[in-house]
Amino acid sequence: MRLLTTREAVPLLLVAAIAAVLPLLGSDYYLGVGFILFGWIALAQSWTVVSGLAGYISLGHVVFAGIGGYVLVLTWGAVPVWAGALLGALAAGLFALLVGLPVLRVRGPYFVILTFGLAEFAKYVVINIENALGRFGRLILGGPPLETLYWAMAALALAGTLAVVAIRRLRLGAGLVAIREDELAADTIGVPTVRFKLFAFALSALLPGFVGALFVLRTGYFEPAQAFDPVISFTIVTMAIVGGSADARGPVFGALFLVALSELLWSNFPQVYMIVLGALLVGFVLFAPNGVAGLFERRRAAAAAPAGG
Amino acid sequence: MRKFVGALAISALAAAAWASPAAAAEVKIGYSIAKTGLFAPAAPSQINAYNLWAEQVNARGGLDIGGKERRKVTLIQYDDQSNPGNAVKIYEKLITQDKVDLLLSPWGTPHHFAIASVLERHKFPMIGSTASSVQLRNMKPGNIWFTTAAVADKLATAMVGLLQSAGVKSVAVLTNQLPFGQENKKFLMPALKAAGIKVLVDADYPPNIKDMTAILVKVKAANPDGVIGLAYPGDSILYINKAREVGIAAKFQYLLVGPAIGFFRGMFKGAADGIVTLGHWSPHGDNARSKAFYAAYKKKFKQEPDYLDSVEAWVSVEILEQAVAKAGLDKDKLRQAISTGTFDTIIGKVRFDGVQNAVTPTGFLQIQKGELHVVWPKDRQTAPLAPKTGWK
Amino acid sequence: MEILLSGQLLVAALIIGSIYGLVALGLNLIYGTMRLLNIAHGDLVMIGAYTGYWLFTLAAVSPVLAMLAAGALAGLTGAALYFGLFRRQLAGSQPIERIEANSLLIFFGISIVIQNLTALAFTASPRTYQALDTLVRIGEVSIAQSRLVALAVCLGLSAAIVLFLRFSALGLSIRALIQHRTASRIVGIDVDRVQAFSFVLGFALAGLAGTLIGVTEQISPFMGFPFTIVAFVVIILGGLGNLAGGIAAGMVLGLIETYGVALTSANLRSVLIYGVFILVLVLRPEGLLQRRRLT
Repeated sequence: MRLLTTREAVPLLLVAAIAAVLPLLGSDYYLGVGFILFGWIALAQSWTVVSGLAGYISLGHVVFAGIGGYVLVLTWGAVPVWAGALLGALAAGLFALLVGLPVLRVRGPYFVILTFGLAEFAKYVVINIENALGRFGRLILGGPPLETLYWAMAALALAGTLAVVAIRRLRLGAGLVAIREDELAADTIGVPTVRFKLFAFALSALLPGFVGALFVLRTGYFEPAQAFDPVISFTIVTMAIVGGSADARGPVFGALFLVALSELLWSNFPQVYMIVLGALLVGFVLFAPNGVAGLFERRRAAAAAPAGG
Repeated sequence: MRKFVGALAISALAAAAWASPAAAAEVKIGYSIAKTGLFAPAAPSQINAYNLWAEQVNARGGLDIGGKERRKVTLIQYDDQSNPGNAVKIYEKLITQDKVDLLLSPWGTPHHFAIASVLERHKFPMIGSTASSVQLRNMKPGNIWFTTAAVADKLATAMVGLLQSAGVKSVAVLTNQLPFGQENKKFLMPALKAAGIKVLVDADYPPNIKDMTAILVKVKAANPDGVIGLAYPGDSILYINKAREVGIAAKFQYLLVGPAIGFFRGMFKGAADGIVTLGHWSPHGDNARSKAFYAAYKKKFKQEPDYLDSVEAWVSVEILEQAVAKAGLDKDKLRQAISTGTFDTIIGKVRFDGVQNAVTPTGFLQIQKGELHVVWPKDRQTAPLAPKTGWK
Repeated sequence: MEILLSGQLLVAALIIGSIYGLVALGLNLIYGTMRLLNIAHGDLVMIGAYTGYWLFTLAAVSPVLAMLAAGALAGLTGAALYFGLFRRQLAGSQPIERIEANSLLIFFGISIVIQNLTALAFTASPRTYQALDTLVRIGEVSIAQSRLVALAVCLGLSAAIVLFLRFSALGLSIRALIQHRTASRIVGIDVDRVQAFSFVLGFALAGLAGTLIGVTEQISPFMGFPFTIVAFVVIILGGLGNLAGGIAAGMVLGLIETYGVALTSANLRSVLIYGVFILVLVLRPEGLLQRRRLT
């Protein structure tokens, strides 16, 4: 077995290279773009673990980021910043473990809308808690500077990419793919489906918890309706669909593509950007279900095959 | 809209060409606002004010820079998709990439909060507009200021004064769960208690409420002298429709945000007469700047300005223009000028104490015969408060 | 507690419930016959609302007539989407789970496109108009004409559609398709025609309901999403693909919402609705009002 195959090395090197180059451009703007890019990569990689590999499409992944952000503001001032962010990640993972058992029994489109409902439910619960506490949007002053946040987010993106690469090599990865293909059959041949699904779900919640905490540190402001904004969930799904969610390349391609598109278009044509986004989603689902990564594969397969074959 | 897209394209071209010497003569002024997403419906009131101002400045021959020269202005606008995180990124881009000369403020409290650290980091002064929260006061003064007089604790005091002057002894308080509504309630309740005004109904409701009948049936049964709706635009509309149906007869009826927006009065015609709302500006006073602003806005956009958002945005550019005329574009001198100056605006003289507007008193407006009048404080009245008489 | 006996409250609950029922009916029809999860459903409500607004503002057309135009417009949109995008998908050999999951994503893309095209065309500024706003008194209950019309239209249409499904040939084919896709093809039902009809009808119903909603609510390009959510809650409660169950569930949700708010606090409305939604999905994904299917 080679140390790293090309499809494993490409996303890892890409993330590392971008992380190294952006600060050299010497502008807060590029650091800011990089911060967002790495955030999306980390989120989309996490999503891939449960939704790409195991085929349980989550339309509510923002709930983990929201929890991470909320724990950070709750512990603000009581513990050091990074401990707060870490607690946020752990809380998100714990939440996934708790709800995972009942939620993962539900399959197919029911699971999709259930995850969405769960995220909205969590949002309204947090809104009610905040109201009961008499807190209406929390302002956080004196967080870490942009450079620090940038490197932290780059580390998360790299960690997410590494995690997907590693999981695919483990028995866990093979088991998750088997669950996606045919859960009943996987169960029959001895894949511990319940345990694998639950583990994958909890794992896919950890990084988003961390990312959510960093998002809050970046804006210095926490408001539940924004921290749990469903648009974040939708964007993650769009990135994974556009990039492809079979392995670690997809989320990196998808995030790069969408962030670049957004930087090109949003400034002058915001609505056009959204329209292109929607059209892309439709187009990829219909015509390129394996995303950009899948398109590469197809081209390579075509090149390798003898002419006419 | 088409004209607006055109203006956008032109400013974008100007932005793209910032390095070329021809464009360098223009003063570049940047801001971010929600063109898409949750807050997009609220943004046009503010964008309109900015565009009107830029047009007028250029028609006057340009922006007066420290009394030395006049330069044309060009606005650079980006969409923050209603996301404060994007606003942070945009203001960094405006400062470091587009190298704008001046900044205008985005829409909404969260966005103001979010970009404060960027302004601080780059020592770039900006005058805020559509933001209000008691938490503003925790912010470090120096690079951001807030024009609003509608901060929750001051509002509570003013409201009690208004209620007492109207002889209201009992109220129902209906509160939207969004931050501004809740913050208002937090300060209002103890103030009501201290003044001996009884709260007969106290109901909170979520932002996406579809029907208020259940709450209003309770209010009708309690029959208070006043109804205080700490509402946003959507639920303000809902309130009028349902209160009219249910037949709420209180002589004092207040809605926090909504009635100050132009379409509101057009929509309800007589039914909205008598509704009181938050605001400290009206075109009916004797302020000449006010009358000019009102006429120009109405002429250009074929609708009334928003008495809150358009006005706050306009006040912020009035102050900016006067500060630049005095101090030029140097950031340190500009900061000094804004912090210490007194400015003529459509809401009268404005001076800052720390981050806050130290002059403008908290006020209320009332719809009377389809027009909005200042009814509080008394020394700024354009018409006295009148009891609400039925729903016509 | 005497407010619970208030006729005003009951009528309000019935109006909300009937609107929910009609909006959800369109969503359910499309899901039932084709297993397509239309996340863009609420955006058709939005299109209907704008149709009513423009017809009234520009030509003083009453919402009662405008809703027919809105239904036609939404129906046309449906026809374009069915023949342009979905027909081929449905005719393919993909497993049903795949179609369900894909349709959710495709409709999400369509939803973004519709919303932003509308924002581009009409700006994001909210719009409102007052039509049919005369108050009607029935005993102690007083109610705006527009809402009375909404109640009558929603109930009437829902009943008409249930009858249509029960007694007309096309309606019976739709029911056959809902109950068993493969079998209905075998017994000679023109599946494509029935699907096209259901698709267009589902869209048209949403557009029509949209005009009724737009009379009393703020109209904006982004107003549709909450209706999508409510429609999903309703059809999950009533059982995916169970049309009569969905109409009943709409009524139930209207009652839960109105009386739940009267009894507890309006704050808990969303927590309540999503709580019910989650519980039903986890415990009985086939819906509360659905008879267990024999398999």
